[in-house]
Parts: sequence; C-alpha cells; structure tokens
Amino acid sequence: MRRAIIREQQARGRKAVAVLPVHYPKPLLTAMDILAVELWGPPGPPRGPDAGRLQAYVCAVARNALAFLAAGHADVVDGVLFPHTCDSIQGLATLAPDFGGWGKPCFRYIQPKGEERPSSRAFVRAELESLAAELAVLTGKSLETAALRRALELHTEIDRLRAALLDGRARLAMTDRELYGLLRRGEFLWPEDHLQELKAATGRLAAEGSAPVQTDLPIMITGYVPEPMTLFDHLRAAGAYVAADDYAGIGRRVLRVPVGEDDVVSERSERSARPEAPPRPRPVSDPFVALVRQSFEAPPCSTRSANQDRRLEYLVGLYRRSRCAGLVVHVPKFCEPELFDVPAIRARFAAEGVPLLYLEGELEADLSAQAQTRIDAFCEMVAAQRRRGGRAAGGTRGGATGGTRSGATGGEA
Amino acid sequence: MSDAAKAVALGVDAGSTTWKAVAIDATGAIVASLVEPAEPRIGAQTERAVAVLRTQAGADAAVPLGATGYGRKRVAAARSLTEITCHARGAFARMRRPGVLIDVGGQDTKVIRIGAAGDVADFSMNDKCAAGTGRFLEVILGRLHVPLGEVAAFAARAERSVLVSSTCTVFAESEVVSLVAEGQPVEGIVKGLHAALASRVAALAGTMPQDGGVFMSGGVALNPAMVEALAGALGRRVEIVPDPQLVGALGAALAVRP
Amino acid sequence: MITRRVQYELIARAAGPLLMTINRWQGDLKRAVRRVTGRGPARKAAPFGPPLESTRKLKDLMTMHYLTGRYADGAVPVAWVTSGFPVEILRPSGFFTVYPENHGAVCAVRRMVPELSEAVEKQGYSRDLCAYARCDLGSVVTGKTPAGRLPRPDLLACCTNICQTVLYWYRALAEHFKVPLVLVDTPFVYGEAKPHHLQYVRDQLHELRTVAERVSGNHVAPEELEEILKVSLAGTRLWDACLKTGRTKPSPWTGFDSFIHLAPIVSMRGTEECNAYYRILLDELQDRARRGVPGIANERVRLLWDNLPIWFNLRELATLLAEHGFNFVCTTYTNAWAEAGGLIDPADPEGSATRAYIHVILNRDLPNKLRTMKRMCTEYDVQGAILHSDRSCKPYSIGQIDLKDRLAQELGIKALILEACHADQRAYASEQGEMRIRAFMESFDQATPS
Repeated sequence: MRRAIIREQQARGRKAVAVLPVHYPKPLLTAMDILAVELWGPPGPPRGPDAGRLQAYVCAVARNALAFLAAGHADVVDGVLFPHTCDSIQGLATLAPDFGGWGKPCFRYIQPKGEERPSSRAFVRAELESLAAELAVLTGKSLETAALRRALELHTEIDRLRAALLDGRARLAMTDRELYGLLRRGEFLWPEDHLQELKAATGRLAAEGSAPVQTDLPIMITGYVPEPMTLFDHLRAAGAYVAADDYAGIGRRVLRVPVGEDDVVSERSERSARPEAPPRPRPVSDPFVALVRQSFEAPPCSTRSANQDRRLEYLVGLYRRSRCAGLVVHVPKFCEPELFDVPAIRARFAAEGVPLLYLEGELEADLSAQAQTRIDAFCEMVAAQRRRGGRAAGGTRGGATGGTRSGATGGEA
Repeated sequence: MSDAAKAVALGVDAGSTTWKAVAIDATGAIVASLVEPAEPRIGAQTERAVAVLRTQAGADAAVPLGATGYGRKRVAAARSLTEITCHARGAFARMRRPGVLIDVGGQDTKVIRIGAAGDVADFSMNDKCAAGTGRFLEVILGRLHVPLGEVAAFAARAERSVLVSSTCTVFAESEVVSLVAEGQPVEGIVKGLHAALASRVAALAGTMPQDGGVFMSGGVALNPAMVEALAGALGRRVEIVPDPQLVGALGAALAVRP
Repeated sequence: MITRRVQYELIARAAGPLLMTINRWQGDLKRAVRRVTGRGPARKAAPFGPPLESTRKLKDLMTMHYLTGRYADGAVPVAWVTSGFPVEILRPSGFFTVYPENHGAVCAVRRMVPELSEAVEKQGYSRDLCAYARCDLGSVVTGKTPAGRLPRPDLLACCTNICQTVLYWYRALAEHFKVPLVLVDTPFVYGEAKPHHLQYVRDQLHELRTVAERVSGNHVAPEELEEILKVSLAGTRLWDACLKTGRTKPSPWTGFDSFIHLAPIVSMRGTEECNAYYRILLDELQDRARRGVPGIANERVRLLWDNLPIWFNLRELATLLAEHGFNFVCTTYTNAWAEAGGLIDPADPEGSATRAYIHVILNRDLPNKLRTMKRMCTEYDVQGAILHSDRSCKPYSIGQIDLKDRLAQELGIKALILEACHADQRAYASEQGEMRIRAFMESFDQATPS
C-alpha cells in the first residue's frame, strides 16, 4: 500500500524520503514537495539478516529499521532522514549509510537537547536552513518562502483536526483501532490527502457538550509508538478505551499552541541582546521563525529530554482534562529516553492516586498472553475501584523492576 | 451431604502448568477440589474435569462456574476473571484481612496488594523472563539433581548460604555449575538459590507497607525453604494461605457465588 | 562557611597527607609481616611482570581526592561533572569536581552496583538503563558510597558528547539536589562538523561561563582560563605519552593497568596534581620500556580492547589473558582522553575547546572509529582485538559487529565480541565469558603453531 502511494507521489514529480522517529520539520518537507514516509520499526520480527548487526539489547525500532533498509524494502524512496532522537538512532544514522544498508542520500536532523536556550534557538534555525539546503540538492529546486508558508498553514490545519479528534475522544464514534489507524495514515500519506480523511472523521464527532458516545473505562496511554495495534483490541475486550493519548508518535506531535511568524520580534530582540551574535537582517514576517517555535512549543517529549516538571504537569493536565480512570505506560524495551521518565511518572501519578499499568514491548506482532492478562487485571481493578465510587488509592505496576507504590490499601469501603 | 456443604459455585484455575478447580458452599468453604497437570487442550480438559467435580460435589449444571488462569477464556459457560482479581478474593476469604499477597507460580510471579474490602489495590508481575518464578528453581535444582520434594531438607542442612549473584535463569545455571566445580556444598548452593529468588521477588514487591499481613500462595508456597528465604528478604513474617494451590480457583468460585 | 573552608584546607594540605602516610606504613607493615610469615595472599607474581611502583602514588592521589571531597561542600563550590565535559571552563571558578562515572567505576570494582542499583530499581528505573546511572542514583538515594561521603553539588555539568544518557541521569540528579544543571549539547559529527554545530557548542560554552561564575561567585579573568587550558593540554600529552609506551615490545604495562591509571586524567584534568602524577608514571613506564620490564611475564600476543572495561571482573580477565601470554597494549577507551584533548589551544580557549570536545570518539561516526582502531592496531602492532559489547553503553557498542568484520577483512585482525556490562555483574555470565575468551586464545595457537 505504501509503495503504491509513494509511486503515485513520485509520478507527480515529488520525492519520497523515509523518516525515522520521532520529531522532524515536516512542513519543510511538504514545502519542498517531499513525501515523508515514517519508519517506526516496522513491527514484527526483524526482516532479513542485517538485524543481527545490532546487538539484541538495542531497541527493536533501530534493529528492525536496519534490517528493513538493508533488505532493500525501502528502495522505492529517494532518501532517508534520521532525526537525532536517541543514541541508538544516532548510531543507526552512521551504521546504515557508512557500513552498508543504505546507499541512497542520507540526511540527519539534529534536535537540540535540554531546555530552550538562546543558543539552542539559534541552532534550530541554522539546522533547519542547513537541512533545507541539503534537501534542495535532492529535489533540484530550492525552498520557496511562499511554499513554506502554505505548508505551515496546511500542517496547522492538520494539527487542529488531530487535536479535535483526540481531545474530543469521548464524543467520537470510532473505536481506538479505527482512530489510531486513521491518525497513523498521516505517517505516509501526502498531507493534503491526510487532511481530507481527517475532515471526514470529524463528522463522527458529536457536538461539544453532548453526552459521550464512549461509555467504556477511559484510560490514558503514554508511550513511544502504538504497536502492536492489537493492544487496542485487547483494551476494548477488557472494557476500556483510550481517552487521552501521549504516544511520542501521536499525541506528542500534535501542536496545540498556535505559533505564528510574529515571534520574530521577540527572537530579534533576544538576538540583539547578545552582542556576539548580531541579528541578521530578515524580513519581519519569516516562516522559519514559526518552524523554530514549533520545535519548542510541541507537547513535552522524553526524546527532547527537556524539563521533566513541565512534562509531568502536561501529563497530569491531560489526564484530568480527559477524566481518565487509569494510566497505561507502554514503552519499548531498551528505550532510554522513555525509560528514564518512568520513575517520575510513577511517583507523580501515584501521588495523584491514579492506578498505573506498566507494559514493555518489543514491537512484537501481538501482545503476549501475560501482557493480555495484565491488561485484563488492570481493567478489572480500575472498574472495581470505580464501582466503589471515586478515588481509590493505588498505582499498579506490571514490571519486574520496581516502581513507586502508593497507599497500602486501596479500597475505601 | 449437609445443607451447609451444598455446593453453590465452582471455580476453575486453568494455569500453564497445573489445572485446579474447587466447589464451594454458601459460606465460601471448599467442599471439593481437583488438581491435575495442565493438558494442552484446556477446553477439553475442563469439560471432562468439571464434570467429575460436579459429580463429587453434587452440583448440577445450574451451579455457576467461574474461570481464571491463562486458559480462562477457553473455559465454556463460565465468567472469566484474571488470576490477579481471583487470587486477591481467594486469599482475602481465607486470611480475612488486607495485606500483600505473593504468588510464586511456575511461569509468573505476582505481588498483589489486597485492600480493606478484599479488592485489588495494586499489583505487579514479573517481566517475560523466568528470573523471579518457580521455573528458576526448577531448572537449576534439576541441574543439581535435587528432587523437588527434598529441597527444603537440603536447604535446612546448609551450614551457610553460597552467594549466587545471577538471577537470570540461564546465567545462574552456568554459575551454579561452576560453584559445584569449585567444590561448594550443594546444600549451601540450594540455600543461595532460594535467597537469589527471594531477592528478585522482594524487588518486585517494592517497599512493603508496615500494616497488614504478608501472605503467600501458589505451588512454591509449599516449599518451606522458599517461605523462609522470602521472609528473610522482606524482613517480615510470611503466612501461607491455606491450600495455597487452590487460592485462584477459590477466588473464581467466590466471584460467581450467588 | 569559614570553618568549613578551614577544615577543607586542613584536610587537603595536612591531615590528608598524614593519614595517607600512616596508611602506607600500615600497608608496608602488613606486606612485611606476610613476607616474614609467608602467610596471606601471595604477592602478585606470574603471570604479570613486576608491579608498577606508581600505582601506590595513584592510590594516594585518588584517596586524597575523595578524602578532600568529603569536606569540600560548604568550603568551595562543588560541581558534579561528566567525563567528557569541558571542565577547564569550570576550574578557574574554583570548583571542586566530582566525577560520578569515576565513582561508578569504583562502585563496580567493589561489586556494589547491584545493591545500589536495587535502591532505584524500586523506584522504577529499568535494569536496561546504564548501570553507572543506576548505581550513582542509588548511591545518592541511599547515601552509600565506597568513598565514605560525596560532597553535595552546587552545580551539575553535563556534556552529551559521550551519550545522551548523561543528560537523563543528570536531570534526575538536578531534581534530587535542586541545583542548576548546565548542559553542553554536542551535535553528533557525521563526517565533518558543520560550522553551525561548532557555533552551537561555542555559544553554550559562553553560556556555561556565565553560569559557572554566578554559581561560584568568582569572576574569571581570561588569562586564568588560558592557564588551566595549558595545564590540561600538558596533562593530555603526558597521558598520551604514557599510553604510547605500550608500543614497545614487550609493553611495559597492560591495558588493564591503563584503565586504573586513567582516573586522574578523567577526574582531575586541568590540575597540577594530575600532571605531576603522570610525570612520575611516564618516567617509570619509559624506564621499564628501556630496560625491557614487561607488563605481563610472557607477552606472546598483543591485543586491542574496545569499549569500557568490565570493572567488576578486571582482575580475573587480566589474569586469564596474561596466563596465556595475551596482553592488551592499547584500548580505544583510554585513548579517548589522549586524543581530542590535543586539539586544545590556550590561545583560542572557546574555539579550541569546542573543537576538542565535539570531536571525541563517541561523538563521531563509525568510519572515524574504524580509522582510529585501524591506526591503533598498526601503531601498537596487535594481532587481535576484544570488543566488549557493553549492555550499559549503547553508543559505544553500536557498530561493533561491523567493526569486528572490517578489522578482520582489512587488517587480518582476529576479533572477539564479548557481551557484558561495565558495572553490573548481574548482566555478565562469567562462565560463558571465560569460555569464549579461552576459545579465542586457542584460535591464535591453531593459526600460528609455535
């Protein structure tokens, strides 16, 4: 299916670039007539012998991607873009192109780590311009400001609709499987086509203020990528649905703060405050500024390793707003960025009296029987706590490696 | 059969290694039970064995059936609940107070916090590997040629515990082989293995609440050496739930009791 | 504050050295008793060469360092620093520096990592995370440390040129201690560093100077920084010279010795004490090289080691190899502190520090790593390599399977991949590991019958 879509876009004169997780300046690619096709693994056992070129303790996302690229499964695209997400993808970005596995053009997009600082702001801008220049070599035409502006508008509209579907989840007459299927088509569709599908889906949203159409247990999920998708079938069978999403690949990429080009003023004043970096003269209205702002205004993500308090506040806010009854933490095994945030998430949600289920995965084709049991038991527990009315204390964990415990006894009889 | 002993509900725990079932009366007491090795065809085994149990307990087809364990969804005409919920109910019915229940099974180890109402307040399970499960002991004791029935006697004879640092089943196996080669006494190694497993289970349990009891269920609870090692690792007295193997099935029966 | 300072100075200048001397007398006494009575552990004889005399001075230096550290907080500003951090920028502000990675190595040698790690595994830290991070956080939570006590930081200084992990780790430390965290984020170098990548690091070094001055309350004159950079450059060159004595046949020391003697250049870089120590070590190594005193008794096969050491198994591994005449004469790990630091130019502090710290081996692509390994194989004339595939260090381990094949194809180097962890013995199967190493050693004898 993806291959056909890529070919169709290429027939229209566009280029296609495979993109590894997580964050990258998609409007820039759209503006340059480049179709982004995201490579989250893919799930299932690694395809081809090259998976063995990475040790088994490297996450499945990186291992599977190497096997996939090296086996030629991505030969239809014109290049690969490696965002600088973590040490493993950073290593993959030299292993595949330099030691075999990928022979076509290769791009890297380095996102600054840590909190926003004057230095990192200036860096993002320079990195974006550098990436645009490299991509221009691939497309044979340079980036046009007007095209970038149009692309920013298009993606703002896409984000608005994605946010509407996610934030109005309780009023949306779709199963999780359907909703995630739709949202994940954004990983490979040409953005305008994705927009049309999103528009159609908003028709299934009941009016704001009307009674919720979802009556199952509302659960929040945080994690990296919703794989395997059968997770949602198991949740549904256990009587729950995802009322709030914080997957790195889904909710964390939906920009909810509108960023405009006006920010150029504040950036200019900041620059001029630093004598060693005199402001370069720019037109007052500059779409690049919006792109820079986007990378700092997106929902907090573990892979940016910025302020943890901000992330926790965001998660708790999302949880409360969505009136959830429990939290599922679903992370890939060996994923350092995600794993390092888990203790703080446990502690914070335990303090809130929120039941929590910890699930670790390796992009397997389906959940193990044990994982299914955990989901069932978690839903049974949350449902029982709800029946007894209100807030029962107790966070639940399903991992072998410790976690913060909340109060000793859960039920307030 | 007296009125009090009349079976009002049945419970099946279709586990990965053993198949267990109980029949209970209106007071929740067990009036009949069955324990068999698990067969690959869970549905067929359940159909046959439940019929036996119904005859034993004098329970006709109207007496409801609750099912738990990995095979719970393949038990026909039963309400299914997970082992977590059922173990909590079963243990609470027997111990009659809240606490922490540790169930060391063949493939899974579960730590369940039982609330004041017998509800599940919190739970945790081991990850995919067998490090914290009964399987860990089974594999390595097999390596040492220690019969399962004599484990406790072996450990009791040990003058001191030999430190086994690996909790990974595969690593520990080779570590144990080399300890034997070094001439370490088997008794001490057996004791050390229990300590290693207990520390893994204790890590799973996290920080223990000071109030409430610490209970143990599952087949491994029948091994006194393990109970002792666990008590040592947790620094708490560990009470064995009566009929530890039947706790899950009891909970399943209680869940459907009219 | 003033009493604290007096106490600190007293320990650093008088009481510490005195204690060290007493300690040494006691050590000498014990050894003398052993010699006379013939009891106690046998003195290290075969398969090693005569032990390095400098090791004792190293112990004194590091013990003093940790001892002084106990009294540092409240007396002088304290910074906890990653091993690849441009520490030279902090030194002129008078920071006492603690290296949690070095501390982690000490914990690992003492086999304390499982105990410390379990303390934070209970909080939800996965065992799949870096063992240094786990054990350091565990040490902070429990207060347990083989150093007696670590001084509380006023500043956390983190540079991502060795991994992203350090940022997650230090962020947790910042949360615990409620102190500022300064970050030097170094874009990974694919091929050549891009100008705006260098500019980004340079901007951050500038930001760092401001924070360091604010936290310490000490304003730094440019010539003070220049002076530190000179000292640091000299230290790097001394360390480089020490390592290069390994080119002599037989090598006057072993790679395992170099792991131990690495501590000062990691955690005291930019200080005179560090350089003074390496002058002593270099003198001894050069003297041994001249006189043909070997690191191991019978050096038959020379090896390269890649990645961090397996700290908790260092002695066992070294002995096993030495018994069969195998010696590590070079390691990519110890070489890392001899290489990029050479780019420091006191005349251009920020520019050269930027270049030096962005170009460390772990922040560069695999072709660079392969070039470095091949160069070392040639210069040190090695026949084999052990690549420690370190579960706890993904950035160092990714690519090793290809590197192994390339060393074999391009230089005929026999290489072994040894899966372990640098600090957590629970993740290492010593039996399997030993068997693999034996098989690896046997393969040399089959190839070249003697």
